[in-house]
Amino acid sequence: MARKPQENPELDMTPMIDVVFELIIFFVVTLTETQKKDETIELEDGQHGEAITPDTLPPMHMQIDIAKSGRISMGNVELSPSDVQNRVSKRKSANGGREFPILIRADFETKHADVRKVMDACTKAGIWRLTFMAVGEDKTNSRKRLGKYVKR
Amino acid sequence: MARKQQSDPKLDMTPMIDVVFELIIFFVVTIKQEDLFSQLNVNRPAAPQNSSSAQEDITVNIQIGRRYDGSPHGVILYNSKEVSRADLDSNLKMIARTSKKTPIIVRCAGDSPHKALVDVLDICYKNELYSVSVFSL
Repeated sequence: MARKPQENPELDMTPMIDVVFELIIFFVVTLTETQKKDETIELEDGQHGEAITPDTLPPMHMQIDIAKSGRISMGNVELSPSDVQNRVSKRKSANGGREFPILIRADFETKHADVRKVMDACTKAGIWRLTFMAVGEDKTNSRKRLGKYVKR
Repeated sequence: MARKQQSDPKLDMTPMIDVVFELIIFFVVTIKQEDLFSQLNVNRPAAPQNSSSAQEDITVNIQIGRRYDGSPHGVILYNSKEVSRADLDSNLKMIARTSKKTPIIVRCAGDSPHKALVDVLDICYKNELYSVSVFSL
């Protein structure tokens, strides 16, 4: 179409910039809001363990969350122990039958019986080496702030 | 398009600066420092590849149970005797002096809190004892 754009010498960029910034805020907020883990979990301190950094953690790993109530989840999706076993064995065969690291992120008040369900599921799927996650450096001081934690 | 851009000498920067400050405040408020995490590795017993290495002379037995007064810390038994975390640390320090490869077997009661297990594993790691197996009772 050969419509001639009407020349507007007072082209105002302000609304456009406002909208663009609004979009940036929207995406930042929504990206952080879709959490990939169970936020209720409070980990126990373990300063002497090997630090978890993106370099030390192989890309082929699995993280399983266990809440205080015993709720098992992966990526904040609730799973039963048999679901965990299925997922682990699938991942293991995708990894050529080799073992891969499984990180268990369990709340400090979780009963061992609930942790055991996950451990047994992993063992049944053929993973014998498991890793527990702990807080290496409590930078947020979350536990002390909540007043739940008294070191003996 | 050969549209000539009219230069506006009175370009008002105020709304943009407002928005930028709004963004700065937003990020300062929302960004929180993340904890640094650590990992504690354990073996599950009865692993077929471990059967040959399980022939060490000494194994250390640690039991973890629940405390009946409702304390969230759990109770740690070393050689069937209740020990504090500091006592366990000094005991394991002596063992680590003999051999760092001494297998450690942790037996966990089902109703013991996970905190006690992580504490025991942390003490093992502190003394560089890494061959830890966890049994569930």
